Amino acid sequence: MSFSMSPESEQKVNELKAKYPQPESAVMPILYLVQEEHGHISDAAVDWISEQVGISPAHVMELVTFYTMYRKEPLGKYHIQVCRTLSCGLCGAKKLMEYLHERLGVEPKQVTEDGMFSYEHVECLGSCGTAPMCEINDTYFENLTPEKLKTVLDSIEKSRPDLTYSQKRDELGSGLDGYSKSEVI
Amino acid sequence: MADTPQTEMVTLTIDGKEVSVPKGTNIIEAAKSLEIEVPFYCYHPHLSVPGNCRICQVEVEGAPKLMIGCHTQVAEGMVVRTHQTSEKVRETQASTMELLLINHPLDCTVCDQAGHCKLQDYHYEYNAKPSRFLEVKENKPKAVPLGSTVMLDAERCIACTRCVRFCDEVTETGEIGLLNRGDRYQIAVKEGRELDNPLSGTVVDLCPVGALTHRHWRFNTRIWYANPKDSICPGCSTGCNVKVYERDGQVVQVKARLNADVNKEWLCDEGRYGFERFLPASRVASAYVAGEPASLDGVLETVGELKKGKTLLLCAPDLTLEDYSVVDLFTKKCLADAQWVTAVRQRELTQLEQILISPDYGANLCGAAYISGVAASGFVESGAAAGLRDVLEEGYVAALKLLKSDYFDNVIFVGDRALDERDLGDIELLQALTRTPFTLGILSDKEGALFENSRVVIPGRSILEKSGMLINRDYRLQYAQQVVPLRDGTYQDWKALNLLAQGLGKKLVECESDRELTNIVLSTVDDLSGLSIRAIKQGGINLVSYASQLRQSAVVSENGNNTVTERESDRA
Amino acid sequence: MAEHKQILLKNVREKDQHKIDTAIQRGAYAILKKTLEMDPLKIIEEVKTSKLRGRGGAGFPTGMKWGFVPRDSGKPVYLINNADESEPGTFKDRVLLERDPHLVIEGMLCSAWALQSEWSCIYIRGEYAYPYVQIQRAIDEAYERGFLGDNVCGSGWKHHMVVHRGAGAYICGEETALLESLEGKKGQPRLKPPFPAVSGLYGCPTVINNVETLANIPWIIENGGEAFAAIGVENSTGTKLVSASGHLNQPGVYEVEMGYSLLQFIEEECGGVRDGNALMGVIPGGSSVNVLTAEECAGVNLDYDSLANAGSSLGCAGFMVMDETTDPIEAVLSLSRFYAHESCGQCTPCREGAHWIEKIFARIAKGHGQPGDIELVESLCDQIGGHTICAFGDTMVLPYRSFLKKFRNQFRTRIAEVMKGVEPRRESIDFEAGMH
Repeated sequence: MSFSMSPESEQKVNELKAKYPQPESAVMPILYLVQEEHGHISDAAVDWISEQVGISPAHVMELVTFYTMYRKEPLGKYHIQVCRTLSCGLCGAKKLMEYLHERLGVEPKQVTEDGMFSYEHVECLGSCGTAPMCEINDTYFENLTPEKLKTVLDSIEKSRPDLTYSQKRDELGSGLDGYSKSEVI
Repeated sequence: MADTPQTEMVTLTIDGKEVSVPKGTNIIEAAKSLEIEVPFYCYHPHLSVPGNCRICQVEVEGAPKLMIGCHTQVAEGMVVRTHQTSEKVRETQASTMELLLINHPLDCTVCDQAGHCKLQDYHYEYNAKPSRFLEVKENKPKAVPLGSTVMLDAERCIACTRCVRFCDEVTETGEIGLLNRGDRYQIAVKEGRELDNPLSGTVVDLCPVGALTHRHWRFNTRIWYANPKDSICPGCSTGCNVKVYERDGQVVQVKARLNADVNKEWLCDEGRYGFERFLPASRVASAYVAGEPASLDGVLETVGELKKGKTLLLCAPDLTLEDYSVVDLFTKKCLADAQWVTAVRQRELTQLEQILISPDYGANLCGAAYISGVAASGFVESGAAAGLRDVLEEGYVAALKLLKSDYFDNVIFVGDRALDERDLGDIELLQALTRTPFTLGILSDKEGALFENSRVVIPGRSILEKSGMLINRDYRLQYAQQVVPLRDGTYQDWKALNLLAQGLGKKLVECESDRELTNIVLSTVDDLSGLSIRAIKQGGINLVSYASQLRQSAVVSENGNNTVTERESDRA
Repeated sequence: MAEHKQILLKNVREKDQHKIDTAIQRGAYAILKKTLEMDPLKIIEEVKTSKLRGRGGAGFPTGMKWGFVPRDSGKPVYLINNADESEPGTFKDRVLLERDPHLVIEGMLCSAWALQSEWSCIYIRGEYAYPYVQIQRAIDEAYERGFLGDNVCGSGWKHHMVVHRGAGAYICGEETALLESLEGKKGQPRLKPPFPAVSGLYGCPTVINNVETLANIPWIIENGGEAFAAIGVENSTGTKLVSASGHLNQPGVYEVEMGYSLLQFIEEECGGVRDGNALMGVIPGGSSVNVLTAEECAGVNLDYDSLANAGSSLGCAGFMVMDETTDPIEAVLSLSRFYAHESCGQCTPCREGAHWIEKIFARIAKGHGQPGDIELVESLCDQIGGHTICAFGDTMVLPYRSFLKKFRNQFRTRIAEVMKGVEPRRESIDFEAGMH
């Protein structure tokens, strides 16, 4: 099983290592880089990353499993993370989860058959003032109700927007109109 | 006794008793010097301090909360209370035990660690209360091989991270990681990789519970059926301290013993799992003459041939100091034209192996060098072990050359490794041996070239059946204890030589047991004067610094200031 | 409505403050230029005079922390901006990073000059992708204009700033866990001593401050420490960003002067409790503090001393409001799920205890509580608090103990109700407890 990254990514790895006083510190952004390009961090990727930064493969695995945002397995093209901590819970997060369960027909962390969606409940996303809310890929969707969430998902299915952040273009994706700016004040 | 230079001392009180320890000592070690046990799982004196198990918490007067004994260094005037005098500490220890056990599987009945498990021991000592946990325990993978030597049971693990730290800090191979967060933690190696370094079995010693166990000895015995003996590994001149468990004459487990100056608490796989190779599968049970079993008298009748011609004694490099003394005595007293050499050859080692292993198979090559006079002027020089290896190898190789040119009339093999294994395949050598008029072996291994090439065989003992002194590569004198029961009708090397001497009408040493001979050697060798077996057993004696102590006390007594010199046995 | 001095949110309601041109127009980096001509030690004195306390939750005096850094260690000094904001109920740092990143950068640069640091890092939580984009772009702009780089403002001093994204671990907000994470390891807190000011990132002296704390520095330098100390009350000087959320009509981030009345804050700034419901309780300082019942809120002000006297804490002012429709059992269950999920797992009491407590609360919420469960959780709280490597264990048990103490009857009733098979009366917020 051979693993490789695009030439731009290899270049980016060197830039990242140079950013820090010590190169091991670059392992976290490099993990993100791999996940951006391949959708998840495979065993082969771990070996590659290990060589790049000089951290043993077992210790890179520790990072992949310790930090919740790194994934060993690919998820849906649009991964919906619904916040469930207190304020969102108080303001109706449960209904959002129930709606997703019903609409998508899968359990949390499972991917729909067409590979489009997956969802899970996560802890506080720092958007309590606009609860309940969720994060889809890297974009926040706030002040939700099940109806509004339905609108969001319908739009996603229709227009397939880019909701990810990419290190290579250093931008957050184009999101959906009316939702991508935070409404926290 | 660790050889630390004098440092600044700190005085503190633990459970009402005052003690002075070097600055920088932590509370666990300070308490140990008062023989107060502060329990711990994650702490290890030769690894970094993680402070995660929390069971070593003690009360320190003036501190707002309990402090962990492993991380807290002593301070002048500190007042510490352990479980012996503090209710709060006792409660905390009980609490820590309770929390460690809530997800721990009740595997004792099928776990190899039972009987030497720190969870069992501490639960009994510090908690002994039934669990209040009513929930479902976390399940994790069981019986996962981490490599060829170690088996992991992830459920039993208490996340002390000793194994992780060992592979990071000692072998620097980093094979083991502790994955996940919270109570879903799990020890693992990277998928597709293995725990694969020359010291891998050490993590089983380090693991305080049954999460890591030996594959080699899996389910072989309950540890309480085995007899533990403290000894020294005879594999090479490092002289790692070991605890060998014996049952029914077999080695059923080997653990490393703590010795800061020799092996810390590490042991190589070759030594540990290869321990059984020192007990030959097929043993010499009686004397042999010309291939036929014979009585010992029959052997002694042939001994007269030794008087004729030139004799070579080939000695294994793992004989005891006592054995070498008697070999030397035999050569000088009983034979007209004889020399003895030690079968020492250098070994190639990988960088990882070099962490612990010495480039030889000679547990006592320094002892041989000392007795044979190759080690110049006693033990005044240190660090010359490497040079000794060279000298001994030269002597050995030269002797073999002579042998091959039919120079010798008699060859005596003393010990099963009297020829290095690399020479056993030397056809020229074997042919020369068949041409040698008289060959005699003091052997315990019936298989192989030495037995076949000995016209006369005296049934010897394997190293594991002997007790005696060994000098390691750093000139540390250590005591190896017999670990398996003796077999009747076999002889220690020195005893066999004693008998041969009698057959030649001479007397070498007057004693019956290994222990008696050790005491004789200690009392007759100047460099070892003042030592006792008991003193040596306490971590070994650095002969270089001991020699300078002896010189100093000799100077003192010469000056007439002090006619009674301090004996090391008092000091130990 | 009360008028509060606006130090931090002064600019955020204007358009395009994240763009450097607009920011410079309103005065960004002018204070930096002035700062570079000042004696670094004098700046530290000024910050001490201001009595500014860390805004990340611990409230440690900032000037004192800066004073711990040895000036002669021969090692580089690092400044870390802790933007790992993950405390439940807290979303104030996000506003500064998204809407006024140049204020944040200027605050960091002024602080770095005081500490004589040439390298700083903003550790931002991974989920904050949009704030990350904003602050990174602002840093790029600052480099272009010479406010960062090898010759800051032409002064000859060099300073480089890096943004580092976390990846979903609340514990990385703990100072030493943050350092571990930044060094490329799991975010597991270190044993202390040594403290970061002496031995931090890569073993070098390091100061870690919260986003809000650093954003105050330019104002303090410009107006003086005394002027800052004149705002607020005795031991709680300046203003505080309060993240108000929960059952409110107008949740959001508000900047109030320290010492402001808690109940007035709810009624006026936040528009009161939703639907005209009665107040049940408030968690004023982010979830890791004691909960206050409605009665206990009377006469309490938003400052460190007042809240401490009331039996709680200002913390990071993650202000969560619960009305009478809240089931306190599910509320504390929701928090216990958070702590169990975020426990790093390093030390025994927190690792095992956090999950055990979650399981007990879940059992009680689902209707399978047993007599003795309340006492068991309280006993576990005592076993965890004061026995862990870091403060996570100490503060985690505060909501548990306070909920059990102040809503004890509800817990007792729920446990007793099991045996009578009575249907629950309140809206369920925990989808796993499943009240249905």
